[in-house]
Formats: sequence, structure tokens, C-alpha cells
Amino acid sequence: MVEITGNAPVPVPATRARRRLRLPDGAALRVALRLLSLAVVVAIWWIVAALDVWPDLFVPSPADVWDRFVESVTVHDGRVGLSDAYLWEHLGASLWRIGNGLFFAILFGVPLGLLLATVRPFQVIAEPYVNFVRALPPLAYFSLLIIWFGIEDTSKIWLLFLASFPPIALSVVSGVRGIPQTRLDAARALGAGRLQLLRHVVVPSVLPEFFTGLRLAIGFAWTTIVAAETVDGLPGIGGLAWSTKKFQQTDVAVLCIIVIGLAAILLDQLVKAVERLVVPWRGRA
Amino acid sequence: MTATGAIPATAPTGPSGAAQRHRVALHGVTHVYAGRGGDVLALDHVDLVIEPGEFVSVVGPSGCGKSTLLGLIAGFHRPTRGRVTLGDEEIRGPGPDRGVVFQQPNLYPWMSVRENVALGPRLRHVRRAQRRAIADRLLALVGLAEFADHATYELSGGMQQRCQIARALANDPEILLMDEPFGALDALTRERMQDELLTIWRDAGQTVLFITHSVEEALYLGTRVLVMSPRPGRIVLDQPVPFPPHERDRALREHPEFVALRARIGRELGLA
Repeated sequence: MVEITGNAPVPVPATRARRRLRLPDGAALRVALRLLSLAVVVAIWWIVAALDVWPDLFVPSPADVWDRFVESVTVHDGRVGLSDAYLWEHLGASLWRIGNGLFFAILFGVPLGLLLATVRPFQVIAEPYVNFVRALPPLAYFSLLIIWFGIEDTSKIWLLFLASFPPIALSVVSGVRGIPQTRLDAARALGAGRLQLLRHVVVPSVLPEFFTGLRLAIGFAWTTIVAAETVDGLPGIGGLAWSTKKFQQTDVAVLCIIVIGLAAILLDQLVKAVERLVVPWRGRA
Repeated sequence: MTATGAIPATAPTGPSGAAQRHRVALHGVTHVYAGRGGDVLALDHVDLVIEPGEFVSVVGPSGCGKSTLLGLIAGFHRPTRGRVTLGDEEIRGPGPDRGVVFQQPNLYPWMSVRENVALGPRLRHVRRAQRRAIADRLLALVGLAEFADHATYELSGGMQQRCQIARALANDPEILLMDEPFGALDALTRERMQDELLTIWRDAGQTVLFITHSVEEALYLGTRVLVMSPRPGRIVLDQPVPFPPHERDRALREHPEFVALRARIGRELGLA
């Protein structure tokens, strides 16, 4: 972690800062342990596949999956990647849909959450609907979306949006409700009007909870992406995974699972890094 | 200077006589709030006048309505019956003419120490250079000048409280309302903060209403000590404190008259 302060002497948190700076040793150990466990998992997988207990169709070997991976990023037999697109094109198409869905989820979810938390009558009327949408499995309304918006990206983005705005809105609500009354009173006593209170106190106070909600929303978006790409989902990593059932390409399915999992972890780490930049006080004030 | 500036109320008699100040008054104030088990009578027909420049300490058992009294003057609540006034104007809500200091520092961690102190002027649309000057002057007053650019969570508890006091003073309020501001500090820091508050009070000339659990603290700081009864809160003793502000130091706590007053107030609290 970088030193936050300037040149002036730091009064209290020196010990805390030192404790944080000492982490790299622990982090190196952690990375080593994780690599080791990964090696063990792959080895077990390899052995199970090699023992031919189950047919290759059920348990594709790591080598098969690796071959599909190589095919997915190259031109082979005059064909491009898998299902006519390179792996990064599949992943990129999915990320673009997820990004759009999340963009609208934030655009709609944050003001909705602020309204729900601050305007009592609005909350009484609207909150049940938000909870209703949140409780629905996305596939339940997907056919409606396809009929309304067609089979192309619009309906997929709508699906991702509907799956991911409730956690954002509800995290904002819980963030606003968690603001101590005296924190609001302090600003009111300094002369803050309603809008100033919102801008200078409520919105920044909600940021930590917002990021928690955003990470939940991204999780929901990933779980929804395969559903969203079951219809006209190619290129798309979820669409690719779904397409494997037709020709029983379990090795491609496993490849998609690994890619989706890794991409999800990376995206989550990215959001966490942004959060540390935007909310440096989280857990400290 | 402030929102109620035009009204010629009482004489400006603050210790430094810096600005026109007005008296704060409660006229027959009764306050009832809705509690979990039904309505709670927090204050029962309280009459009180706080003159400009006074340092009024309030002691009383927990739940006696001390904080309600402060909240009514701050404008966080409206009285159920009676009127609360600043000068000739009725208090209808919170405003920059009354500064509040809470037990929790309530600093905003997304703002630097200086930005926290400059928040009041910023909310009133004071220009950047001017509000920076105000903040730096007050940070120097409370001994935090070199921490102006620090994050608030890098300060110790005592420093955070000093920052909160500076922030409340930045609006140059007529009265500073302090709700057990040193209650969460360790004993040593607390005594230092008491001395610093007396210095600030002499320099800045604000009227102060100071709520505390500690009889000693009330007596050491106040020019007047109010003792409140358990719920429903009433003022059962209004004790002037004769020691001049500049004679308040460690030795005062051992002074026979101080000890006698402390015993008298303690008795009143015990009986109350």
C-alpha cells in the first residue's frame, strides 16, 4: 500500500501502516499456496481423466481442454477460433453486454436507491416492486424481453440490467439508512439544505455500500450472461458454453467455465482496486 | 453578521465583545417524543435564558433531557409546547448561527481536515480563498495547523474533537452547543481539552452551552451550572460559578470553594 500522507508527521496510525506494509511476505506465501493447490487440482483432474473411469465425453482431460483453448485463439483447418470467433471475441462480446447492463443498472439503481431511502411514500409504494424483480429468476421474463426487444443485444442488455439493478438500489438504500443521525445533524447545523446534505454527506457516505452492491450486481450479471446468450448468443462466452450441448463438446464447456470464472475474478479484483481508490477511508472511519 | 443580525436584542457582552450576539431563551418549553413504549415526556415546562458570552454547563443523570434541550436550541426538534428563541426570532430549524459539537467527532472522511473545517463557509457559498483563510485561522487556534491536509482518520480522538470544534466555529456562530464533547476521551486528553476550550472561549467569544456527565467538568468550565432532574427533565438548580475565567487552572480543582460547590451540586444530583 502506498503512503497516503504528505511530509508532515503522521500522528497515530504509524503502527497500522507498518502492519499493512508487512503484508507482501504473507501475500507471496498466499500466492505460492494457491499455485500449489491449483497444481494439485489439475493433477487430480489429469489422473481421473487418464484412468478412464468415465468416458472422455463426461470428463474431458486437461489436454483436450488445452487443445480447444489453442484452437480458440488460432485459425485451424481454415476456420477461425471456435464457432467462428476467437476466444477474446466471445469474451469481449459478453463483457460488452455486461458492461452495458451494469451501466444502466447504476444509472437507474443509484437514484432509485436514494429515492427509496429518502422519500418515505415512494419507498412504501416502490420497494415491493424492487424486491419482486429481485426475487425473479431472469429466465422467467427473458421470453417477454425477446418478444419486446428482439433477439439481438437489446434484449440481452435488458436482461442483465434487470438482474443487476436491484442489488445496487438496495445497497444504496441500506447505505443511506446506515448513516448515523448525528452525521446528518452535524451538516444541518453547519447550514446544509436538503440538496447540499445529499451531495456533501449522503452520497459520499453511501459509497462503501454502493461498491458492495456493485460487486453483487456484477456477480448476478455473470450468472445471467449464459441465460442471456442462450438465444442468438454467438459470439459470446455464455453463448459458446450453451452451444456445446448440441455436439456434446464437453471440453469446450469446461474451457468456457474456466474463462468465465477467471474473467469474473479479475473483474471483481478490478472493482475492488477502484473501490480502494475512491473510498480510501473504508473500514477506517 | 448572522441570520438574525438586524435585531437589536441584548447588549453584546461577550468576553471579547467580538460581534453582536443575541440571547438564547426557552419560554415554557415542554417536549414529548414518541418512544417505543409510548410518549416520553423529556422536558417539562423549562424556562431558561442564556446571555451572550455565558458559558453554561448542564449536568444531570442519563436520560434527563439534556440532549433534548440542546437539540431544541440547535433546531433538530421543535418543542411540543413553548418557544425557543435566538434574539427575537423563533428557532425553526438548524442553522449556521448555532454551532453544534457532538460526542462523536462526525468528521467527513472524504474531506481533508481543512475541508471539514471549511465546510460551513462552503455551504454558505463563501469564496474558496476566503474559506481557506477561515479554516487555517481556526486550525491554528485549535493547534491543528500542520494537519490541515491530513485525512481525518489519521487524527487521534482528541485531535478529531478539536477539528470538530474548529468546524463548528467556522460559521462564527452566536452560540456553541456542545453535547458531551469530551465524553469519549481519556482522562488526560480530556483535561487538556478543557483548558484549550477555555482558551478558545476567551478568544472567540462565543456563548457556550456545554452538556456533561461530570460535575467537576461542569464547574471547571462554566460560568453557570444547571442541574437537571431525571425524566421529565426540569432545571432544579441554577448555580452561578464565581471563578473568573483566567483563574481556571489545575489549582482551582483543589480550591475550597470549588470543592464546596462540587459537593453542593453532587448532593443536588443525588437528591434529584
